[in-house]
Amino acid sequence: MIDWLLKRFPALLMARRNIGRTKVRSVLAALGIVIGVIAIASLGMFGLTLRYQITENFDDIANQVTVEPNRDGRQAPTAISEREVRDIRRIAGTSASVVPLQQQRAPVSLDRGPPQNRFMYAVDSPAGVYEASEGTIPENFRSGALVGQQLAMEYDLEPGSSISINGSTTRVRAILAPGGTVGFLPTANVVVVPTTMFQQRTYSQVIVQAEDSQAANETAMALREQLNDRRDRFTVDDNADLADQIGETFQALNLFLLGIGSISLLVAGVSILNVMLMSTVERRQEIGVLRAVGFQKRDVLKIMLSEAVLLGVVGGIVGVVFSMIAGGLINHFMLDDALLAFRPDNFLYVGLAFAFGVGTSLLSGLYPAWKAANERPVDALRS
Amino acid sequence: MIETRDVVKRYRTGGETLTALKGIDFAVEPGEFVSIMGPSGSGKTTLLNLLGLLDDPSEGEVLLDGEDVTGISDTERTRSRKRTIGFVFQNFYLIPTLTARENVEIPALFDHDPTVEERAVDLLERMGLGDRLDHKPDELSGGQKQRVAIARSLINEPRLLLADEPTGNLDRATGKQILEEFVDITDRDVAVIAVTHDELVNEYVDRTVELVDGYMGEDVPTDGEHASDSALSASEPGSDGGGPP
Repeated sequence: MIDWLLKRFPALLMARRNIGRTKVRSVLAALGIVIGVIAIASLGMFGLTLRYQITENFDDIANQVTVEPNRDGRQAPTAISEREVRDIRRIAGTSASVVPLQQQRAPVSLDRGPPQNRFMYAVDSPAGVYEASEGTIPENFRSGALVGQQLAMEYDLEPGSSISINGSTTRVRAILAPGGTVGFLPTANVVVVPTTMFQQRTYSQVIVQAEDSQAANETAMALREQLNDRRDRFTVDDNADLADQIGETFQALNLFLLGIGSISLLVAGVSILNVMLMSTVERRQEIGVLRAVGFQKRDVLKIMLSEAVLLGVVGGIVGVVFSMIAGGLINHFMLDDALLAFRPDNFLYVGLAFAFGVGTSLLSGLYPAWKAANERPVDALRS
Repeated sequence: MIETRDVVKRYRTGGETLTALKGIDFAVEPGEFVSIMGPSGSGKTTLLNLLGLLDDPSEGEVLLDGEDVTGISDTERTRSRKRTIGFVFQNFYLIPTLTARENVEIPALFDHDPTVEERAVDLLERMGLGDRLDHKPDELSGGQKQRVAIARSLINEPRLLLADEPTGNLDRATGKQILEEFVDITDRDVAVIAVTHDELVNEYVDRTVELVDGYMGEDVPTDGEHASDSALSASEPGSDGGGPP
């Protein structure tokens, strides 16, 4: 295969042999490219991984709208009524899930000791907003309680443990998974109970989960318009803006990281330029002979550029291998899954780094190659 | 086959203009073996460069097969050079990273001609180097290197072979072998022009041309002008290819 390639592209043969002539120098020049490629690829992947780690949790949020009473509004209600919840359901449409929440303080005892006053959430359909790490969250929540993981650890609770709320004993149905929530609802330290527990008719918050961020955005606009007839009675938050902002921030961060990586490639380019210039000076007579025996300028140009590109390709390939290892490590430590390094976005950065590496070599080779090709053979032979 | 008509070559160094060749008329026929002799600074290498289409004269014409080749583009000049002229240098100038066979193939490297390898092997066998095909230059003796260089100069079947001090770096016995190769080559109707200091060469050539201070043979003026020219030419760089002073 390589033999065939060298036969087919004789410039490569010459280039390959010339690179072999000054091994240490060539290896060092290629090393510059290796480092440059690793820098660009791994900084790019690092940025992506950081973004992935953060947006993973935000994916749900972007689809979501929260409705709360406007706390600053003078004539605003202090809670959301059943009727308004029905309005919200109607406006959000059937494809969205609407979860009304109640907040309540009540005396709770988690360890059979004296009860403490704790904040609790009351939800009809907790499966819409929470995920369980142990046990299962019932679709139809009529009895029992869900407990945050931190509380569960602190009081040694598990599904089936009994706790007492408001003086009556109830069973823990599930332990909430950390971060497995929608919106900014806290999970770690909460106790979630069915709405039947409080005999309350109003809600403190309604969470609407739309199909995607665009639907969420439209729902939010419709809600603002229809719930708030001219007076700002309710605050409607959708997180589409937030998600956009996060995206933009990370894009800027990634560009910045790539910029830093590019500096190392620039340095590598200068080192290739240096190596190639030295090589053209040392081989001046040889190039003169080639020109004398009938090599055209472009043939000399081809040979010299092949040399630069060969350095770039070899450096690039080694760089890509190391970058994938670096990507695996980054993903292993940040996301606990090294295989996430093989996400297509990462390959984009690796490919970009490789292309930059080869491109830098090509650019750095241009001037020395041009210089070698344009020397008059008489002058070159005389030296 | 190749001919110069009243060729003048001037060099500009610093503020001075030095005249290396002062009106040379010279011609070679196919199959002829000619040596150009002369002291250092006499303009031998300058003449060889003009004959080899490596340089343009300041005045006069260089005719290749009756056609004026002065002032043609670099690309055309390179093409003519490749087609008609082979070069042999004092320092052999083999590419150290390539084997003997690859060195011989060099001038035809970009031709994608499948017969090149075969021709290269033939030439090397003809030069008695059939067992040295895959040796690198540093594994060859001086005489072997020069024979590789001759094989290289012949790969494109030139009709003119230019040799700059071909025996300059060889001992006498090896030099003789090389000159015999040249005689063989002229038997195949290839003209050979050798620039040399070496009297040995004259034992093999058909004709010797003397070059003194930029004048050829009988044209050398014997008056006082000559002496002052001589001083100029001798100090002029580039008129000689680095033969021993």
